[in-house]
Order: sequence, then C-alpha cells, then structure tokens
Amino acid sequence: MNIYVCIKQVPATETKIKINASGTGIDTTGIKWIMSPYDEFAVEEALRVREKNAGSTVTVVSAGPQRATETIRTALAMGCDNAIWVETPEETDSFQAAKALAAVIKKEAQPDLIFTGKQAIDDDCAQVSQLLATFLEIPYVTVALNAEYGAGTVTVKREVEGGTTEIIAMPTPCLIAAQKGMNEPRFASLPNIMKAKKKEIKQYKMADLGVTDADRKIKLVNMTLPAGKQAGKKITGDAKAQAQELARLLHTEAKVI
Amino acid sequence: MATALIYAEYKDGKIKKITHELIAEAARSGCEPVAFLAGAGVEALAKDLGAMGAKRVILVQGDALKFYSNEAYGKAFVEAVKSVNPAIILMGASAQGKDLAPRVAATLGIGLASDCTKVKIEGDKLKCTRPIYAGKALADVEFAGSGPQFATVRPNALSVGALQEDASAAVTNQPLDASALKSVVKDVVRGATAKLDVTEANIVVSGGRAMKNSENFALLEALSAVLPNSAVGASRAAVDAGYRPHSYQVGQTGKVVSPTLYIACGISGAIQHLAGMRTSKVIVAINKDPEAPIFQLADYGIVGDLFEVVPLLTEEFKKVLGEH
Amino acid sequence: MPVLSFVFIAVFLAANAFFAYRVSILLRLIKATHGPVWSGTRFDRIPERVLTVVMNVLGQRAVLKKRGAGIMHATIFWGFLIITLETMENFGYELHPGFTFEFIGPTLFSGLVALQDFFTLAVLCAVLYAFYRRLIVRPEGLGKSNDAIIILSLTGSLMISLFLMRAFHMVSQPNWYDNYQFFSSFLSRNLLEPMALSPEAAGNISSVFRWVHHFLVLGFLCYIPASKHLHVLTAGPNTFFRNLEPTKGMRKVNLEDETVTSFGMSKITDMSWKDTLDLFACTECGRCQDACPAHNTQKPLSPKAIIADLKDILYHNKTAILAGKSDEVGPVLGTKVTDDVIWACTSCRACEVACPVFIEQTDKIYEIRRNMVLMESRFPPELQTVFKNVENNFSPWAMSPDDRDKWATEPDDLQVKTMAALAASGEQVEYLFWVGCAGSFDDRNKKVSRALVSVLRKAGIKFAILGKEEKCTGDPVRRMGNEYLAQSLIQENVNKLNEYKVKKVVTACPHCFNAIKNEWKDFGGTFEVVHHTQLIGKLIKEGKLKPTKGTEQKITYHDSCYIGRWNQEYEAPRAILDSLPMAKVQEMEKNSANGMCCGAGGGRMWMEETIGTRVNIKRTEQALATNASTIAANCPFCMTMLTDGIKSKDMAEKVKVVDIAELIDQATI
Repeated sequence: MNIYVCIKQVPATETKIKINASGTGIDTTGIKWIMSPYDEFAVEEALRVREKNAGSTVTVVSAGPQRATETIRTALAMGCDNAIWVETPEETDSFQAAKALAAVIKKEAQPDLIFTGKQAIDDDCAQVSQLLATFLEIPYVTVALNAEYGAGTVTVKREVEGGTTEIIAMPTPCLIAAQKGMNEPRFASLPNIMKAKKKEIKQYKMADLGVTDADRKIKLVNMTLPAGKQAGKKITGDAKAQAQELARLLHTEAKVI
Repeated sequence: MATALIYAEYKDGKIKKITHELIAEAARSGCEPVAFLAGAGVEALAKDLGAMGAKRVILVQGDALKFYSNEAYGKAFVEAVKSVNPAIILMGASAQGKDLAPRVAATLGIGLASDCTKVKIEGDKLKCTRPIYAGKALADVEFAGSGPQFATVRPNALSVGALQEDASAAVTNQPLDASALKSVVKDVVRGATAKLDVTEANIVVSGGRAMKNSENFALLEALSAVLPNSAVGASRAAVDAGYRPHSYQVGQTGKVVSPTLYIACGISGAIQHLAGMRTSKVIVAINKDPEAPIFQLADYGIVGDLFEVVPLLTEEFKKVLGEH
Repeated sequence: MPVLSFVFIAVFLAANAFFAYRVSILLRLIKATHGPVWSGTRFDRIPERVLTVVMNVLGQRAVLKKRGAGIMHATIFWGFLIITLETMENFGYELHPGFTFEFIGPTLFSGLVALQDFFTLAVLCAVLYAFYRRLIVRPEGLGKSNDAIIILSLTGSLMISLFLMRAFHMVSQPNWYDNYQFFSSFLSRNLLEPMALSPEAAGNISSVFRWVHHFLVLGFLCYIPASKHLHVLTAGPNTFFRNLEPTKGMRKVNLEDETVTSFGMSKITDMSWKDTLDLFACTECGRCQDACPAHNTQKPLSPKAIIADLKDILYHNKTAILAGKSDEVGPVLGTKVTDDVIWACTSCRACEVACPVFIEQTDKIYEIRRNMVLMESRFPPELQTVFKNVENNFSPWAMSPDDRDKWATEPDDLQVKTMAALAASGEQVEYLFWVGCAGSFDDRNKKVSRALVSVLRKAGIKFAILGKEEKCTGDPVRRMGNEYLAQSLIQENVNKLNEYKVKKVVTACPHCFNAIKNEWKDFGGTFEVVHHTQLIGKLIKEGKLKPTKGTEQKITYHDSCYIGRWNQEYEAPRAILDSLPMAKVQEMEKNSANGMCCGAGGGRMWMEETIGTRVNIKRTEQALATNASTIAANCPFCMTMLTDGIKSKDMAEKVKVVDIAELIDQATI
C-alpha cells in the first residue's frame, strides 16, 4: 500500500502570538516550531496501517518554508519511510498548499490512503484535507475518530456535533482527516531520531508543481490581537443571587449556554 | 443586487439558528438571500426559510440525501452555485459546513474564508474576520481572483432578524444526480444518551476534593444533566481520594480538555489541574477560598459554598435554557 | 608426616581450589559487564579509599549506624578476624602437631587466647541474637532467607566446635594459658572434669572437634561465593571502590558516539564492573528497603529486591555471558524487574545512604529508565505530555515560555532585572537567581519566588533573573530517562549562562540546584551554586538579615532529598529556623539523612501514583505527628506534595506548609 501523510509545521501550542511589523503575519522570532498536533494522529494512524500491511510504505509530505524540514524529520523519526518537502513562501493559503500537495501525489506513486490532521493549529482553516481529496477526486472523511481498514474499503467513524457520530464507508483511495484521540501517537526513540537525521528528503518547488500566485485565493490583509482577556468577574450576593447572575452572564454575555 | 447563496442546515425538523443568522445578514447587507436546502422529505422547511428572509429556495431532494454526506450534498450544492451564480456564498461553520465548504471551494476553484466570526458584505465583496492561532489572533481576510466569495461563519456570531411568518420564498426544485457516489453513510449514531467523555464535551463540570465524597458528585451530575453536550470531570485530588475513576480526571496527568465552558466546583486550581483545562473558552470557578488560584484564571468566580450554589445554579440554568 | 596430615592437605587444597574456581567465575562476570561507572574512576584518591575501608570495614562505622543488628554484626566480624588466627593455628596443627602461636611471647599469647575465647562466646551470643531477630522478631526488611539460617547455623557450630575442641584439649593436655580462656576452662572444669575421661580419650575427642571445625571452615569457604555471605569477600572491595563523594549527578551519556548501539541498561551486561561488585556485596540486610519511600507505601519497588533480582538475572545469564554470547543474554526487564518497579523510584537516595556497604541502587534504576525511554519509548503515558511540554515550552507543565517571568510582574511588578537588560546596560550583579519552572508557573511557589526577591533585597544582594530565557534544567526529564531531551536543555542553558558570564547562582529549587551544581559541569557549565537556604543562612550569620519579628509557632522541618541526601545540607535550613524568634522547632522522627521523601523526585511529580498509599500522605502524617503548626519546606515539589497531603488530611486550616524564604521574609524588616 502507498500511504501518504500530509503534515504542517506550526508554532508550539503555548506560543504567545505577536504580530509582525507589516501587520499581516506573526513575528516568528523565538518561536518553537512543532508538528501540528492533529497531524501526529495522522502520522500514527498511517504507521499503524503500514504495520498491519506488509510491504506498505508511508510517505510524509509537507509544504512550507525551509524550517518545515525539521518537522518532516520528526515524522521520519516516528517511522515514516519517505519524505517530500514542497518549498513554499511563508504566506501560502490553503488552496495553494492543497494544490501543491495534490500535484506531488499525482507525480509520485498512486496513493491508497492519505492521512491528514483535521486542521492545522496555526491558521485553523481546516480546509487542506478536503481540498486535497477533491483535487485528487477521491472521497474523504474529516474529524475521524477511528477507522477500520478492509480490502479496498475503509469504514470511518467521524465526530459530529453534540456527541453524534457518523459511520461512513469509502472505497480506497481515500483521505482521512484525524481528530484528536484517533490513537496515541508514538514517541520517537533515539535511534529512530538519529536515523531520521540522515534520511533523504525529496524536494519540490511550488513552480515545478504548477502552483502560482494566482492560486492564492485568500489574502490576509490585517492581523490584530484580540482584546486582552478581561479580569475575571467575582459574582457577589447571596447564593441565590449569585446563581441567577451567573446563569444570566453565561447566557447573555459569554453566550456559552 | 448581489445574490447570496446560503446553505440551509436543519436538525430535528427545524432550521438551525445559524442559517437564520446568515440569511438575516445577507438581507441586512442588501443582498438577495437564496437558500439551498437538501435532504429527503424536507420541502416543508422551505417555508421557514422564507420566513427567515430567503427570497428563493433551491430544493434538492432524494434518497441519496437522506443522510448528510459531503459527496452527495457537495455535488448538489455545486450545481446550485452554477445555476444561481451568486456573488456571495455563506455556510455555517458547523460540523457540516466545515466538512463540506472546502469541497465546494475546490470544485469551483474559488477561495474560502473558514470559521469567520465577523462578515461584512460590501456590494459583491465579502470581508471576513476569522480567529487564528486558536483565537490568539484575528485575521481580516479578503478574496483574490474572480468567482463567488465564500465563507463559513461561526454560529452565534451574527444576529437574527425577526421572523416574517407571512413571507414566502419561491421554491426551485433542482434535480438530483446521485450517480457515481463513492462513499456511503452507514449509520448516524445520536450521542445524546451515551455519557460523553470529558474530552468530547462542550461543557465540563468538574469537582475537586471539596466534594467530600463520591455521592456528592450527584450534584454535579444533576447540573450536567441540564446542560446539553456536557460531561462531569474531576480534579486529581478528587480522583486520588477515590471520588471518581481516573478516566474522569482533568489535568496534566489526566485528560486535557478545551471546552467552551468549564465549571470548576471546589477545585483550588493546582498547576497540574490548570494544565489540563486552562485553554477552555469560558471558565467558571465556585470555591469557598477566595485565595484559590483558580479565581485568577476564571472568567466568572463565585466565592461560596458549592453545596449551596450548585443546586441553585442547576435551577437557574434550567430556567435560562427552558426559554429556548 | 602422619596420614591424617595428607588427608588434611588434600581436603584443604580441594576446598580452596573449589573456592578459587567459584571466585574466578565471579571475577569473570565482573569483567564481562562493560558499562561505564557512574562517577569517577574509582581508582583515584587511594589514601581516602584505604581510610574508608579502615573506618567502615575494620571499624564497622556504617554497620554500627543501626544499633542492635550493628553491634551483632560488628561482634561477629571482629570475632571472625581474631578467631581466624586460631583457625590458622589449627590448620598448622594438622601439619605439625603441637603447632601454636606461643612464639609470640606469653603476654601477647595469653591476651590472644583470652580474646579468642571471649569472642567465641560473644559471636555465639550474637548468633543467638541473630536467630532471635530472624525467627522471633522478624523485621520486615530482612525477609525470609534460608541462606541466612544456614550461615547462622554454620557460624554457631563453628563457635561450639571451638569451645569443645578447647575444653577437651584442656582435659587431655592442660596448658599454662588455659585459665586465660575463661569460658572454655569454665566448661572444662565444670562439665568435662566430672566425666573423668582419660587424657587420651579427651585428646581424641578434642581432635574430632578440631576436624569438625576444619570441615566447617572449609565448607563455609566453599559455600560463601554462592551465598549472600559473599559480602565477606566483597564488602571490603566495594567499600574501597565506593563513590567517595556524597553528592553526585547523573552520568552523562555520549549520545553522539555512533559506535554505541544501545544506551542505558537493557541487559545485565550493560552494568559497569562496579555495579556487578555492588550486587556481590549485598548481604540483604534490608536497611535500604526499610528506608525506601516506595516500598513503605506498598509499591513493588524494593531497593534490596532489585539488587537481589539483578544478581539473579546475572547468574541466570551466566553461561551466555561467560561464553561471550552477548546475543543470548536476556533483557533485564521481565517478571522480576518490572516497569512498575522501575518507575516507582523517587530518586531520594535513602537506600544508598542506608547501605552499610555503599551500594548505589539508584544508578541501576536510572540506567534502566534511560534504556526504556531512549531505545524503546517505553514509559508511563503521562510522561509523553511532560516530554512534549519540556521540548516545546521548556517546562514540564503546559505553560507558555512567554509567561515565565509573570511571577515577578503580577499582581504587582517587582521590577526584577533580567540578565538581558543588564547585559545591555553593562550593570553587574552578584547572583543569577535561577527561578525554576515551579517557582515561575506554580501559583503557590510563585509566592516563594517573590518572598526570596524580598529577602535578597533586604540583605542588599544584587541579583537578576533570566526571565523568558530560562529553561528547565533538565532534571525531571533526565530522571524520567530522557537523556536526549535533557542534554539539549542543559546545553542551551549552559550556553546562555556562559554568554552572560554568570559566576554565582542562587536558586530556591533543590532539583535545579543539584542539576546546575552537579550535572551541568559535564556540559561546560561551572558555577558557584547556592541553595537559597544556604545563602539566607550565610546572610543571617553575617548580620545582613536580622530575624526580629516573631510569631509563636511550632515548626517542623522537612528535608528535601536534593538538598539533604543529594547535597548533604542538613544544617543551614535548621540554623535559619533556630534564628526565628519565638519559634520552636520540633524534628520529625525521620529527619536529616534519614528524612523521608515527599514522593515527587525522580520525575514522580508528574506521574500518577495508583499503587499503594501515597508517599506524600505518609510523609504528611509524620509531619502532623509533631503537632507543628508550620511545616517548613525548601523545595517547590515538597511544597506541592505536602500541601496536597495537608489538604487531604483536612488539616489545611490548622497547618501551613511554608518555604523557609517566606518564614525569613515574614521575620525580617
């Protein structure tokens, strides 16, 4: 089986976001870059499928600037066999990234399964998985909680709102976008980290893949920081009044109930 | 007048509020709202869309649309876009919208601004604001290139207009092409009855050592019962004391949760607990000790006896939620 | 020469040959274990090594730390030394009948025989006491041991045979020195003389008991190498080769070495020769187990058992090891040494301090952890979160590195300077205040950081912090086995400190303290590091801090393992508490070197504790037993563990856990 897993490098979850001078991106100084957490579930799932299907290979593909290769190595250390890096400028939108990934996969071995994370935690667009599958004209399931792999078919449980789940069967080739909890991603061992440092990463440029500036459909024109979290409100009064006020605030102010 | 095509969503035979929000916004911005409604046996809902302000409804029906699937719904919606040729396309950033919208965008070769919290329609231009980096920053985005401008919008971000019960929309039946569908929806499992895991719940009500024993967790269960899509969690201290099994533990060594609402009852807020819930959108703390560190993180704090406050809160939540 | 002499020579040589064969196997096993020794070469500082042997082997100092059993052991040991002379005399007797040591002169000889007779009785009493202990008292740490019963029976029989040999000899052939052998002559006079044996018969019976003694001695010799009594051979060398430094850091592993295919201990042959000697030196006295917080809270770990188990594993793989077939040597982890055993350790080193023969139990546990984590990614699932956090946020908790200095600015800005700001302005400070992750992010411990700032300012100490540039010292992940991650953090920190030309460091975290002081030097970071209690103690002595404000309170002091046992600082914190006006200090029963761990060390702070009772609860109970209203801590982890313990005992209203810095801050103006 040819298994692809598409990953993205993002700033670490706890990063304090600062806006850069131009106001259209973040200040990347001092940022610790990691694999987007949902992508880890995708990598793990790809590796597990490979382990159950002798002769399969897992190819990790990532689009991003030079530093994305570090994250590709993380995926290699987890156990991916091959790696492909698509060099892109800092500001690339989902459409461009997906188009580039699709072009790479078309150039490489015909896929049986493609895994992605349900979204990258930087731009939070949650688009590339669906765009990629659509460009490749293959079915997809997003927010996948688990999957069972049969001969030529995959049955996936996906999470919908309110604890409802859908069970979807698709023929391969297909794409599965992992939700948190799909599995427990492995921790790379030191020998695998060392081996990954020496593995070759195949490189493509956006232009080689026919992706141009015209494919950039969304432009970020301005970036702002939300108003700082306000100091918490202490609700006073007797228990009855406190309860009443809290229910009111949660409903009308915070709008969470 | 620009046309805005709005993807209509419904649940349990009722149009969802987000659809009303989108129609209302399009109408407010001077667009002609056209709704797209797909399903099996849903024609009656077209009237409701009219009452919400839709001028036209594109109705697609068939067995293949009995359950939502991105393939069948996507195909039908793309057809609708082609026939309506709207300047603006809007969907809710709901489970369906998030799954479907990129497929439509890819097929049409257009851009998509997803999960927007603000949309502004200026003529045939759509300007959106969307949270990025888990809400740590906001991005104003615009569209490049030609074609419809397409956004998914978070529920509750826009206001709804009043219903005009007498208004009706012209319904256009669009034929369904159900050929060449690859994926099959085997089952839809409603999760209402099953107990949610704390990591899946939208609202988490957690108890700490101050619950005093496992029986008292019934108070939190009762509170959780009135809140849809909620689950009960516990701090490590409460789990260690044996009040709850480990699978309920929220914290660094337990489960890491990020619900929209986290209600911490009798939890002081040790670092190991905070590490498991600090990214919750809204945090409520109920604690006797005004010095408890949890209050520094809480959006709403009640200094008081949880045994007194929680039952009253359950009643108040019932009242508030009962209004809908 | 009489026939019996030839028989004796044959038996003697056979026994010695067998003994030598068995010992040679042990030596080959020691040689076959190829791992590096943790600290030092163990062949340096020879005079000190000789001295420690004199003190602890000949002088039995470490053994005597425990009263009853210690006196028992010392008696047997000293008796063994002095009686061996008589045994040699007896051996000589077989070759040359009538051979004695009388040539040393009547004074010395009479003294010698008197001592021998005295010790024969003393050893017999000690053996009886040992039987009483093993069979009647049955302390938990000793466990059941058939081996011990055999050894004690042998020892007792040796003594009895000596008495009988001497007493009958006195009847057959009275000597001038008989009366110096008080007890033997007493036996002879009162029990044997009334029997009116002929001198010849008595002489024969004496010879029989001499032969019984010979056989017992030679049998003992043959039995020793395969028994726990091997320590009579190995305790001396193990003491000689002991780690002379009471303080130590974890061994640095050269991860860049591409010739190394496996890190840490996966097979028993991955141990160092000293580790193997440790296994041979253990006599299963159980002092380590009695001191172990994990064992005392029903965890599967016992330091005594792990040493015995490793020895079993070594013997089990003996054939493969000696044949040089390393592929056939099985893994260390299995049914005896399990994951739960390995992860239960809090690295408190109570076992090592308790061990009378200086075995280093923890080294082995942490080498096994290293192998599990680095080579197999095998660890409790909650550790993955810690590794991720440390890697991405440079702290074990999921906190933003950008918030690391918030403790100093919220709720009000203390205006603490950062090294970066000082470097820009050219200003110099004496100390870098290393805050640590707990002091930076944990709400309770942030207050300790703020209190220390206040105290340092009162004393006029110039200091600065690294602020956002500070990263975890590597201590927790290193002890969780992730040497790779730890090394990258240590190197980044060392580079940063060297960049700012830091000379002196003060920290309120004993774990940071130990890492910076004892572990960073392997990475090019040599700094003068003081724990805040040491610095505060010094400032009080110098009169720069004057605790004048008093509140009446009873304080008990909890020694943190990393300031106490790891770094031998027991006095400074106590001196500070003694300087507090109106405060009364009440020690817990387990204090100082015998203090009990809070349960958070060795990375346990971030692990679930699901087996047995909780260590922190047990320690809290000990603190509560003093009836103190204040528990003084000097470590952020102890603070957390004891505070949790107090809460779960519902004593939070009555008892407070307070850091020593806070006590001094309250007591000074």
